[in-house]
Amino acid sequence: MAAPAPAQHREAEEEAEEMAGVVKLISAEGFEFFVDKKAAMVSNTLRNMLTSPGGFAETREGEVRFPEISTAILEKICQYFYWSLHYSSGKETAEFPIEPEITLELMMAANYLDT
Amino acid sequence: MAAVSGSSDGGSETRLVDRCIDAAARGPATVDAWRRQRRSLERLPGQLADALLQRLAARRLLSPSLLEVFRHSVEEIDLSGNIAVDAEWLAYLGSFRYLRVLKLADCKNVNNSAVWALSGMSTLKELVLSRCSRISDAGIKHIVSIDSLEKLHLSETGLTDNGVTLISALQNLDLLDLGGIHMTDKTLRSLQVLTRLEHLDIWGSEITNEGASVLKAFTRLSFLNVSWTHVTRLPPLPNLQHLNMSNCTIHSIRDGDSEVNVPLEKFTVCAASFGNIFEVFSSIQGSSLLYLDMSGCSLSNLHIFEKMKHIEHLDLSFSRITDAAIQHVANIGMNLRHLSLKNTGITSQAPCILAGTVPNLSSLSLAYTEIDDSALAYISMMPSLRVIDLSHTSIKGFTCVEVNSEKIPSMPPLEHLMYLESLNLEDTALSDEVIPPLASFRAIKYLYLKSDFLSDPALHALSSASNLTHLGFCGNILSDSGLLQFVPPAKLRVLDLSGCWILTGDAVSTFCKHHPVIEVTHELWQELQPNSGGTSQVHKSRQLPKAKTEAVNRQAGPSRLSGIFFVDERIKYSREELMELQHLTELNSVMHGVHLPPELWRMG
Repeated sequence: MAAPAPAQHREAEEEAEEMAGVVKLISAEGFEFFVDKKAAMVSNTLRNMLTSPGGFAETREGEVRFPEISTAILEKICQYFYWSLHYSSGKETAEFPIEPEITLELMMAANYLDT
Repeated sequence: MAAVSGSSDGGSETRLVDRCIDAAARGPATVDAWRRQRRSLERLPGQLADALLQRLAARRLLSPSLLEVFRHSVEEIDLSGNIAVDAEWLAYLGSFRYLRVLKLADCKNVNNSAVWALSGMSTLKELVLSRCSRISDAGIKHIVSIDSLEKLHLSETGLTDNGVTLISALQNLDLLDLGGIHMTDKTLRSLQVLTRLEHLDIWGSEITNEGASVLKAFTRLSFLNVSWTHVTRLPPLPNLQHLNMSNCTIHSIRDGDSEVNVPLEKFTVCAASFGNIFEVFSSIQGSSLLYLDMSGCSLSNLHIFEKMKHIEHLDLSFSRITDAAIQHVANIGMNLRHLSLKNTGITSQAPCILAGTVPNLSSLSLAYTEIDDSALAYISMMPSLRVIDLSHTSIKGFTCVEVNSEKIPSMPPLEHLMYLESLNLEDTALSDEVIPPLASFRAIKYLYLKSDFLSDPALHALSSASNLTHLGFCGNILSDSGLLQFVPPAKLRVLDLSGCWILTGDAVSTFCKHHPVIEVTHELWQELQPNSGGTSQVHKSRQLPKAKTEAVNRQAGPSRLSGIFFVDERIKYSREELMELQHLTELNSVMHGVHLPPELWRMG
């Protein structure tokens, strides 16, 4: 399985610009998650942001802020991106674990991200 | 957003939003994990809250106290058919801040005092209380205080004229369903003030022509159902699109001097009789009509169709028409999508006339007619067909030019129908040797076979039907070894073996173990797994002809199963257990029932 662990980098802006196909997601608390563009595209909202030509500032800078999504939830979302990439392709199936305590918050984030 | 749909297929394409809703509503323990997250619950967008509540209701996890946590988020609730809903539930629902739609159809424990809690709700736009039989005039007093109501469904409640009169206070109504209420002309007159009405349902009322003349006050009316009434004449209704006058005697649908034709799109006149049928149909704007249901009308000739060039759906079942009338159907065949000639006097001559004139026809029923194998060649010339019903006909699967001459198989021409998905051949005289060609129909997904002459080889021939998902092989002479040697096609999911009376429970059970993905229906199999909460099986067993049931009984008698065999499911379970089964059924149908797209249902 592709490593779902989204590396948490700080002070890595210069690096990020060089890494084609990587996008930075920033949580409400300011934590930054680097994920492959391919993974971020699992979200239709991000897909629209990243593919609409010149429209969004996010497209140019390769970073998206989520003032409403907490770090824990955003991390779970990133895990889901990679999980989805892995399991939507093949016949293989597995359950994506969702802890009951976070269902409401995750539901709202997923709804916003249209995924 | 289409983010949240009511059902989830559990496949890899399920969205994260649906997974969350599913996880949140897994059981009482998971509900406890989030029900106190007050801030999150208050922020929950309406459509998410609605979907979560719906899922909780489907899984019977909802209680009045849990309802309370949705007070600030939910906008639409459908608790139809939930018999737990009573005054306590409504007390909570009455306090919902943003509730727009409340559907409580068939909630038998909702009574007059329970709806008191809804009085004065200021956001409610739609309220459904259809078939809540304990609602009567006293309950309406509370409901008419909800000024914001735009849609109100009260069909088959205990309302009388006195209660209906009160409804005139709800001046914002655009939809009013009073079906099955014995309302008089005088009461209908009191509703004249509801000038915004677009949809009015008063089937089964005491309305006569005198009352019907009041309808012209409703200038916006686009839907009207006056079936099962004494109405024979309607005033001109310039915006009427859907009209149901089933079981009426119809003299005019545009009474008076008006020259403006009615722009009807959908005209349902089941079992109606006509004064001057030409006059009635000439007052319809010919180009507007798309849907015409004349089942059960006794029609002699069909000149009335002349202008109706755009009809897509035409139901002439039980109408006694004969081949002579079919030319009129052929004349308007260009846009036909659905045609039912079920239970009419037609013969194979009818498909012969229709062939080549119905390029877009996708569903055709010729059930219960005299057609025979010679019709199949003509049917194969209707290129868009997806669903064909040939049950209860004289089809045998082969034609004989002369007595004792060689048999020519009649099925192969149907192979030309590249979209054919569903074929019903139940209760025809098919024999084993005519089945193999069916397996090579490329698109066939649903196949129904039932004949006194079909046995093991017929089932085996279908192993190669590559797209078959649903096979009805009912009432045939299928043996245990025949079933066990059957290699099911890869995509088969449903196998209905009801009435295959030679089969033993052991054989069916062994087959099911070998093929766990296939949902098998058989009288003896369901006995063996009483906890499966099977969906349609209970009903099926009741439909079994009595003689066959007895045959099954004798079959089971000497076997080891005799001790646990019941024909009547109701004896085996207590009332409570049955209630639980009922819930399971609903849950199953939500979660993993095999859903047929509507167009593939067996045509009724």
